[in-house]
Amino acid sequence: MERDMRGRGNPWTPSGLIGQFSLSNNVSSPTLDKETEDAATDNDRSDSGEFVVTMLAKAKLEEQGIGVKGRSSPLLEVGTQETPAFISHRDEDVTAESWRQHRKHVFVLSEAGKPIYSRYGSEEALSSTMGVMMALVSFVQSGDNIIRSEHIVVFLQKGPLVLVCVSSSRQTEQQLRGELLYVYYQIISMLTQASISRIFEHKKNYDLRRLLAGSEKILDGLLNLLDSDPSFLLAAVHCLPLACSLRDSLSQILQKAITPNLVFSILIARNQLLTIVQEKTVIEDARLEPADVHLLLNLIGASSAFQAGEIWTPICLPLFNPDCYFYAYISYLDPPECTVCLLLLSTDKEAFYAVAECKRKIEEAMMAQNSLSLIAKVQSYSVSQVGVSDLRHFMYKPFDVTGCFITYSKMEAPYSSEEEKMRLLDLYRYMHNRIHSTSRPLKLIYHVAERETLLAWVTSKFELYTCFSPLVTKACAITAITKLLRWIKKEEDRMNSLKLVLFPYLS
Amino acid sequence: MASGMQEKQYTPSLLNFFVYNPTFGQKEGEEEKKILFYHPSDVEKNEKIRNVGLCEAIVQFTRTFCPTKPAKSLHTQKNRQFFFEPEDNFWIVMVVRNPMIEKPNKDGKPPTVEYQEEEIIDPLLTLITFLVLQLFNGTFGRQMEAGGVELLIQKLEKFFYRYLQTLHLQSCDLLDVFGGISFFPLDKMTYLKIQSFVNRVEESLSLIKYTAFLYNDQLIWSGLEQDDMRILYKYLTTSLFPRHSEPELAGRDSPLRPEVAGNLLHYGRFLTGPTNLKDPEAKFRFPKIFVSTEDGYEELHLIVYKAMSAAACFMISASVELTRDFCEQLDGLVGPQLTLLASDICEQFTVNRRISGPEKEPQFKFIYFNHMNLAEKSTIHMRKTASVCLTSVHPDLMKILGDINCDFARVDEDEEIIVKAMTDYWVVGKKSDQRELYVILNQKNANLIEVNEEVKRLCATQFNNIFFLD
Repeated sequence: MERDMRGRGNPWTPSGLIGQFSLSNNVSSPTLDKETEDAATDNDRSDSGEFVVTMLAKAKLEEQGIGVKGRSSPLLEVGTQETPAFISHRDEDVTAESWRQHRKHVFVLSEAGKPIYSRYGSEEALSSTMGVMMALVSFVQSGDNIIRSEHIVVFLQKGPLVLVCVSSSRQTEQQLRGELLYVYYQIISMLTQASISRIFEHKKNYDLRRLLAGSEKILDGLLNLLDSDPSFLLAAVHCLPLACSLRDSLSQILQKAITPNLVFSILIARNQLLTIVQEKTVIEDARLEPADVHLLLNLIGASSAFQAGEIWTPICLPLFNPDCYFYAYISYLDPPECTVCLLLLSTDKEAFYAVAECKRKIEEAMMAQNSLSLIAKVQSYSVSQVGVSDLRHFMYKPFDVTGCFITYSKMEAPYSSEEEKMRLLDLYRYMHNRIHSTSRPLKLIYHVAERETLLAWVTSKFELYTCFSPLVTKACAITAITKLLRWIKKEEDRMNSLKLVLFPYLS
Repeated sequence: MASGMQEKQYTPSLLNFFVYNPTFGQKEGEEEKKILFYHPSDVEKNEKIRNVGLCEAIVQFTRTFCPTKPAKSLHTQKNRQFFFEPEDNFWIVMVVRNPMIEKPNKDGKPPTVEYQEEEIIDPLLTLITFLVLQLFNGTFGRQMEAGGVELLIQKLEKFFYRYLQTLHLQSCDLLDVFGGISFFPLDKMTYLKIQSFVNRVEESLSLIKYTAFLYNDQLIWSGLEQDDMRILYKYLTTSLFPRHSEPELAGRDSPLRPEVAGNLLHYGRFLTGPTNLKDPEAKFRFPKIFVSTEDGYEELHLIVYKAMSAAACFMISASVELTRDFCEQLDGLVGPQLTLLASDICEQFTVNRRISGPEKEPQFKFIYFNHMNLAEKSTIHMRKTASVCLTSVHPDLMKILGDINCDFARVDEDEEIIVKAMTDYWVVGKKSDQRELYVILNQKNANLIEVNEEVKRLCATQFNNIFFLD
């Protein structure tokens, strides 16, 4: 039972993720690696191991001349501040009935069986359970296994990490595996794949928690989002519905505020995307995958640490390039409410001051145009705007735009409680799974159940999920859909105006 | 360039089947004692122990999360395993290889193999297997009481050797999930004739406790409890009748043709028990079955007697010894009457068909099942036996039916699911008050409302006294 501990040649194939994300094998951008990054990234790749350790081991950034005033690593801050929405589950009693009754457990461990993360309960208390998991994985040997009982147990091996999910949520194994993959990518976003491989090559029973200490909040936040945010299900990014003119003006502001090695400028409001601007010649045709955007959104939303002042932190975009770091400048533009966040990604470790200067330019321009108050006025869609009485909720994803964006209405009565929201999402998840089945996909599902009627429809142009009251007749439902699609077309100037703006490199 | 190379499809197949009890052989070095049955038997002992050990570990692990409902199945890329604990600490495990497609590669590379996930059917097979096992041997507990582990192992070996041959995974579909019974449609007169026949026989031969009457592999009358009849029906139609029908269909001079007892008075003969009544030296025995009663179970002899297409099952308490005289008496009484009845039924059936018109392609393709009386009806299956399943629709559509059935099973309430497949076929599933109806419509350009109207028409003609959701 010799195991290949390097773990790079992984039996996991992306084919199971069709319809989940647009994961492809040509994920690393060749130009980024070789030509333009040169000194900066090459240095980083070789010593990123030490760099990571230093960054996350509470070294003051000032010592490295990076200029954040007296703060330790922001990623570590995440662990110390409790936001009211998050209850820490770290100290839960793992033998209690309540622990067993959690809807979804997620565990991360190393190939050597060392615990790394557990969603509920501390890793220490669970080390024997994790030992059993490791034994099961190695026994069965062919990776990627699932066990079905009242719960589904899904195992995923990625490199030297083993991820396990025990879920009673009735999701399918492909969906759960996709979620585990997100957890893996979030870990990569903090450490890079290359460093993890290198670390475990040197020392097989390394305790990765040393590097991830304090970042449990980020993984907790991701798992909560996976449960509650529809944009993960449809592998697309949710944008705030801005008028074309407002979005264009914001994009132009970002376009003008550039500096060498700045590759992405991203504006976020209330955890939804406003606009992304991307440096063209460096990146050429590669673009940010929705999954990377989700990971960024989670990173920022998962902690309140970013809310004060400016943060400069290394970040890896796993689907873009899992082996190297970008340097992210993160700053909220509207303290103390902190709803609008600016994210500038550079490949230059030393560029903090130059990038901070860009932010000042952007801030000035936005002030001049009164952008912040315009943004504050924008509301998410409500079903009542569509003007169809039986419609309770919808999610829409067009296929033809130059990106993956979705639109959905707010969850309103009768889906106001957390439980009901989850239940509706579970119904959508089940329909998504049926419609995108790899062996027998469907075009349309119309499901009349006791509490609601659901209709899911996939065409070559779009994917639509709708929820009606249970007493709706088929004729009414069809009329409603027609009306909804017409309304969406009208709103298209808002929804589809978000394209990736490419701007020329200025020397 | 190599062209015209076909991709090969492999259907799911049985890899392993074993029965174990983890409480036997708990000491180091004695693990083999846990294994009560293992197929294929020529596997190395250590591998058997390892596989059983893995099952135990998985069950243990899942008990951490839910102590009362441990693992049911394990899926890997290449195969899937199902665990079933019918009685405390007795486990039945079935390992099935996933269906796969082998795509040829150019340039002499080995073909790429793509495994497909299937879902529904297999877990039920372990349950059905157990139920049939229980029908013929009683529960594990009872067998342990009767003869201890050694006897249990012998019986399992004997039973599974035959039973596993009748397990055809590739021809299982929704009808197997239902485990229903196909009833033979009869007019009132003929039904009454059959009833009075049964009464007469039961009165003359007072030893008979229960009777069942079948025609053409379909049930007409049964005196057994529904759950027992369901399993007995499965056994009769998948095992016993097929075994005996081939010789019957053989030509006049074929050596396969059964020794007709030379009785010119009737066409009746025993399917279980004595094959040749004329030979006084020939030994015979009847299979014994266990059926449930109010306070446990009882053991019965199963006598299956057939005349042409009609088959009658008589069940007599196993405590009675059945002699040759008794068989001759039964043969003399039942043979002529059954033969007469069989030809009556046949005549009625032909008359009815002439009236209703020649059998053409049924207008609606549907499957109907009633959970309360286990009645099933399918206009989709042209031929369904244990080894062959011929349907007039694409297997993928049948799988979609299976998916819908799975969805219905998740809730108790009445529901309706309509889907449009990639091939533009519409599949409608309706569940109402213990009845399920599945309709397949080939109307490519129809919309939801038109499909709904079509199904309403079907319900009006065939199911007009059953309420389904609009």
